[in-house]
Amino acid sequence: MRKKTLKEFISHFRDDDQFKSQVVKWHTIEPMEAVYEPLPEVLAPSLRKALERRGIGKLYSHQAEAFNSVMSGKSITAVTPTASGKTLCYNLPVVQSIVENPSNRALYLFPTKALSQDQKTELNELLDLADSNITSYTYDGDTPASIRQKVRKAGQIVITNPDMLHSAILPHHTKWVSLFENLKYIVIDELHIYRGVFGSHVANVIKRLKRICKFYGSDPIFICTSATIANPKELAESLTGKNMHLIDRNGAPSARKHFVFYNPPVVNQQLNIRRSATLEVRRLASLLLKEKIQTIVFAKSRVRVEIILSYLQELVKNELGPKSIRGYRGGYLPTQRREIEQGLRDGDVYGVVSTNALELGVDIGQLQACIMTGYPGTIASAWQQAGRAGRRQGEALILMVASSSPLDQYVVLHPEYFLKSSPETARINAENIVILLDHLKCAAFELPFEKGELFGETEIEDLLEYLAEERVLHFTKDKWYWMNDAFPAHDISLRSASQENVVIIDQSERANHRVIGEMDRFSAMTLLHDEAIYLHQGAQYQVEYLDWDEKKAYVREVEVDYFTDANLAVQLSVLEEDKRKETEEAAACYGDVSVRAMATLFKKIKFDTHENIGSGPISLPEEELHTSAAWFSLKEGIGHMTDEHVEQGLIGASHALKAIIPVHVMCDPQDIQVTPQVKAVHNQLPTLFIYDRYPGGIGLSEKVHENGQTVIRDALELIQSCVCTNGCPSCIGSGLPAGDAKKDTEKILEMFYYALGSEVN
Amino acid sequence: MSLKKKLDRMKPHLKSNSSGAARSESMAEIPHLDLWKQHHTDLFWHENDFCLIREVHFPLNYQHGRYRLSDYHKIMEGWQKANASHSLSSAGYHPEDLFFFDTETTGLRGTGSTIFVLGHARFAGDKVILKQHILPGPGQEIPLYISFLKQVNYKTLVTYNGKSFDWPQVKSRHTLIREHVPKLPQTGHFDLYHASRRLWKGSMASVKLKHVEEQKLGFERKDDLPGYLAPAIYFDFIERKHPEGMIKVLDHNEKDILSLITLYIHLSELLLDQEIDQTSAEKYELGKWYSHEGEREIGSGLLEDAYKMDGHISAAHNLAYLHKKNKQYDQAEKLWLKVSSNGSKKEMVEAAVELAKIYEHQFKNHAYAITMAKKALVLIDSELETKKASDLKHRIKRLEKKQGNL
Repeated sequence: MRKKTLKEFISHFRDDDQFKSQVVKWHTIEPMEAVYEPLPEVLAPSLRKALERRGIGKLYSHQAEAFNSVMSGKSITAVTPTASGKTLCYNLPVVQSIVENPSNRALYLFPTKALSQDQKTELNELLDLADSNITSYTYDGDTPASIRQKVRKAGQIVITNPDMLHSAILPHHTKWVSLFENLKYIVIDELHIYRGVFGSHVANVIKRLKRICKFYGSDPIFICTSATIANPKELAESLTGKNMHLIDRNGAPSARKHFVFYNPPVVNQQLNIRRSATLEVRRLASLLLKEKIQTIVFAKSRVRVEIILSYLQELVKNELGPKSIRGYRGGYLPTQRREIEQGLRDGDVYGVVSTNALELGVDIGQLQACIMTGYPGTIASAWQQAGRAGRRQGEALILMVASSSPLDQYVVLHPEYFLKSSPETARINAENIVILLDHLKCAAFELPFEKGELFGETEIEDLLEYLAEERVLHFTKDKWYWMNDAFPAHDISLRSASQENVVIIDQSERANHRVIGEMDRFSAMTLLHDEAIYLHQGAQYQVEYLDWDEKKAYVREVEVDYFTDANLAVQLSVLEEDKRKETEEAAACYGDVSVRAMATLFKKIKFDTHENIGSGPISLPEEELHTSAAWFSLKEGIGHMTDEHVEQGLIGASHALKAIIPVHVMCDPQDIQVTPQVKAVHNQLPTLFIYDRYPGGIGLSEKVHENGQTVIRDALELIQSCVCTNGCPSCIGSGLPAGDAKKDTEKILEMFYYALGSEVN
Repeated sequence: MSLKKKLDRMKPHLKSNSSGAARSESMAEIPHLDLWKQHHTDLFWHENDFCLIREVHFPLNYQHGRYRLSDYHKIMEGWQKANASHSLSSAGYHPEDLFFFDTETTGLRGTGSTIFVLGHARFAGDKVILKQHILPGPGQEIPLYISFLKQVNYKTLVTYNGKSFDWPQVKSRHTLIREHVPKLPQTGHFDLYHASRRLWKGSMASVKLKHVEEQKLGFERKDDLPGYLAPAIYFDFIERKHPEGMIKVLDHNEKDILSLITLYIHLSELLLDQEIDQTSAEKYELGKWYSHEGEREIGSGLLEDAYKMDGHISAAHNLAYLHKKNKQYDQAEKLWLKVSSNGSKKEMVEAAVELAKIYEHQFKNHAYAITMAKKALVLIDSELETKKASDLKHRIKRLEKKQGNL
């Protein structure tokens, strides 16, 4: 039997009744023609030759704009969707400038080591084609000691990651004199990754970097590339402290895309539980693969990748051979990746099942269809994943299969939110006091601070005085000097804001215990207690023992069908109210809070059905966190609800808000906490707190405060459009005692909404 | 909210560092100058700034452990006469050329780790002059380095791990003030740490200078300040300005430098074979070292001595390699036969393989060659050393083929 083409397949799908009934929205995006510009006239002949050898006779408009802007001395941020040739946006101007003057240097920053390797290979290919002897090196933990000296002295392009810059390059800047004296360009790829705590840290690392550059007399131009987010220019400017020229008109062509929102059928009407997204994806992917339509499947965890992968491989074993469907996880070597890429091009590989790792800029070429197992969490990553499908000619099919989670249900039931609204805002707070102090120590270690010196734009004299009182710095002759025997960068991890972290040790292999990560204490209480299931890069680990005194969590890799959810008894008190919007009925505030939390017990909750399948106690001491928070309070005597109903409504509202907030702020769900209090300590009123889960705050709750009304409106819509009758895990959470939970929640949210709305109007 | 207010709120939750220094006012006068002067320390002025320099002289009959400083002149003469070339050789140098050099720092690595004592000693006629350049406080590095660079010949530094620690640290701090001080030239120098490791790492649990002093130089420290306390004492000093702690640090640094002198004497005596008792292990290490430096003849002489002294098997093994290089296969065979049954496992395997090669290619005795190759194969762990195992199997196969053809 002849295989169907994708086009035939799509029209078959459109007519299929069973399929049709689950499709919430079928959205077609018309194809875009490429917009070209000729190769710039100033382009060095060797680069021209290299491009021509690669079959590139002209540039996409955004590449040309990037080249011209950088050559005229502007820092730029280019918004580059998947597969739009972003690497040329920085490689062309950088290589051109080094060809013009071989003493020029460039520093490339990628968020991960794997990405650095990948980009180095790509850059070297370009340099080879140009018959160039420009040297580029990666400098990371894997760089052999024997060539480090050479990289430091002679590397014209040094490729590294922010962590290395922070702990190995800047504290030893005197060994990098020739780099810093001649540093012309700093490339920051995957800009959107630098948000939240990580971004706040990196913004400070870049301030340190610029300080060192200034000391050696250089003032580099920044070249950033980012996935689509709401505020690329703002993020780039706050990260680098430079005015940015934004390049967001993309000249790359794209195919006609069918974006299909698919909601699996309800299998339990009462609980509003839908069939597992994983099972649906398995079925849909096998239909495509049987027609030999090249398909990429995204799943959120390594375990799910394995489940889907083994099923699909089994299915097509006889027809296509097991090697025709490949798994792809973070940490693959470039050679393995090249093999898959080559297979896709040759037609030996039909399917790739991947965790979100692939979304991170690694290019494996493009496929015809893309299936997402659930909403990937942010609009930006959804578009990145969708970008994997769609060759220049022809059509592309993108299926988003929703799970039962409230966020997924919100997105699938409001496809217009996804398609029309702008993507999330990436927030950083470089002035988080904990993070800032840490980097001031590092900066003082690197060079003494002069009186009156700013750190970026920040006035820091008070902080330096504090550090002098703490006997870390010594003030003399109008300068603050580092005066301590520690190596400060060593104690500071860019991936967390807490000062004392819990180290996570994997003991799956008897002879090879290794540290796989660390976590701040506050998070560790609920995520790393004994028996907790901890997810790391999609893999599940069970905590075997949490040594709280030594701050070590011993984990072992497991495969289970549940996750753990810890109850945190939280006491919140408001320390200072910075902003307030209010009406007669309600108030929305923002300020600093103290959170005292104690983990009490945890539940084991089954994936998909969210059944509670067991529980246990947690015995850990109370922890205190000072952070920023947004809160909504109802005023006295409003709503005529009994306490019981108020409580129920607040709990429901917090559940819905927790699902909705990531829609507005680009963050991981655990970065932000929502806590209802029937009688808040500071005002004795029913209050809903939304706080940043990092000491000092990282700007998430501030954003919630700014958009209070929209956030509440969306939470209300989530609840109202849910098909359940009295609350379900997909909207306000289950397990609420009395009836009317849904109504109570709506009432409370409406009061917040109208109260805030009348203020706005 | 201002950062200051935030800071006040967060203070109880921020980790506090207790060690270290506090603020100070600008230095209006130099406190305790009389006390400094009592300890042979004076000011060095550069423009409007200063550092401290302590200068002490030692007579040549000064005894430090089992050596007198005057022993230095014997070994210097020895090196001038010696025919051997060696990386520790001071042939061609005048006794006054060498600078014995050691620093005290506030940390172990990174730009922010400051050198606060630069100490050096050299021979000058009938005495040894020891000088210590002391940083009175951060921000006074310009006079410190200017005074230091003026007085030191960097081409002939003698250090203990100075190649990878003290000198890179000097370079790093120098970079920070490079616009104000003379350029730092390339240096070549004698690093006695590497020499000590080479000779004694097999026989000593640690080759820290303190242990070398005790076990090789006959020098025992009394009331000595542990080196790791030096940073804390310095932080206290810049806060209180009282020199008492620093004087102990300077005393510690002085002893380090004197030990550098006697260690250089001791190592030179070993290398020059000057009326000194050497164990077979030392002769063996010295022999390997000389061979490594290209002095094969001296090397093989020392190895032979070690082997003769008590049948030192590793010496025999190394000697056999030297014989092989000189195409003296009979001697090599004799030694390797010993090693192949008495050496460490690694040596036994290597000896058997070498014998197999000699029998096959030199003596054309394929049967013996097969025996030796098989012996090696039995000795190795073929699961772990797969490459070696397959090489050996290949060799045996080839030999058996050759044998069959005859």
